[in-house]
Amino acid sequence: MNPVQSLAMLQNALTVGAILFSLGLVGILTRRNLIVMFLAAEMMLQGISVSLVAWSRHHGDWGGHVLVIFVLTVAACEAAVALVFVLQAFSRTGRLDAAAWQSLREATVGRTVDRELPAAGAAPPPFPTLTRAGVQPPGGEHAPLEREHV
Amino acid sequence: MTPSLDPVLPGAILAGGVLAAAASLWLLLPNGPDRTATRRLGTLLGLLALGAFIVTGRRLGGFGEEAVFLIVSLVAVVAAAATIVSRSPVYAAIWFALSLCGVAGVLLVLGAQFLGVATIVVYAGAILVMFLFVLMLAQPAGLAPYDRVSNEPFLSALAGAVLLGVLSLSIGRLSAAPAACCGLPSRAQAGADAAAAAATPPAAGAADPLAENHVARLGGELFGRHLVAVEAAGVLLLVALIGAIAVVARGEDVHASMADDAGRAVR
Repeated sequence: MNPVQSLAMLQNALTVGAILFSLGLVGILTRRNLIVMFLAAEMMLQGISVSLVAWSRHHGDWGGHVLVIFVLTVAACEAAVALVFVLQAFSRTGRLDAAAWQSLREATVGRTVDRELPAAGAAPPPFPTLTRAGVQPPGGEHAPLEREHV
Repeated sequence: MTPSLDPVLPGAILAGGVLAAAASLWLLLPNGPDRTATRRLGTLLGLLALGAFIVTGRRLGGFGEEAVFLIVSLVAVVAAAATIVSRSPVYAAIWFALSLCGVAGVLLVLGAQFLGVATIVVYAGAILVMFLFVLMLAQPAGLAPYDRVSNEPFLSALAGAVLLGVLSLSIGRLSAAPAACCGLPSRAQAGADAAAAAATPPAAGAADPLAENHVARLGGELFGRHLVAVEAAGVLLLVALIGAIAVVARGEDVHASMADDAGRAVR
């Protein structure tokens, strides 16, 4: 691979890393669910990892790889400690809402007030379900043509 | 790298793509009622932004390499966007798993075989399952109200777009020539690292991490030059473990004492 191609690969991979980092930034700024905020933080770490490995490939050394291994380590520690705090927060407030802790904000910052919230319980998300096994399907008009027992 | 295009044109396309991405995120982020028209417009703008980034991307030379890189990076980016705009946190976690698979693919294309596999095993296999576990423990039935609103979606999307624009600008200005002032002394020139098999200068390719015995040489580097850091990481893991347990135990104590106080007050 010649230097031009190496640089092209570096730039493409850095762009992917930048997009991942920016998406994670937007996620952690906007979302209110504590778990989704942590997912966004992990996404920023992913963007950093991609960039580090891209530079490592471009320079042909192992520094980026080693750093990414430590990023993985720190991410595991962070997830463990953070999830403990999230669970504690949940058991105190009964919600995974970051705004439930807004009494910790600065005195000069305004209070977060939910406006125009859609009615509670409107259209719960459809989760994937499995069909119950062992139930015979209803017979149609072609039922006489089918074998009873296969 | 794209000599056929006027140098201004890629910049304009990129700026348009960044703005389209910001508008798409603003429309798609959960903000009150879920309208189909808004979602469609946001998706369309997001596709436009992706197209702008694909068009301004650099050509890699080989068709197969380009196609593979395009597919895995599209999976990573699209799933990442879906993660932060999903209203249901369970779906967000599953989208994030897909995004991790895409990132692992990008790492594999970049020649980081061990890290690609480790990303899937450690992130998707352990960390994400832990997140899903907590979600299943703590998720109320149906959609919680705080999952249907966002903090300042417009300003945040704008901030993300500004960051992305600045990063893209500085990425586009990278050039193959080493910087005059402060270029990294390459290993081959330093001649200090004969063990790293830097027989060929890195810029001339050889794609060092792609060479044979990848994992063995990564391990040699990790436990050679970075041995102290590995020890520190081990201590960090231990401290995190103990800290997590300590926080849980202390939380139980506080709960018990609060319950006692409440019981006494009632009595």
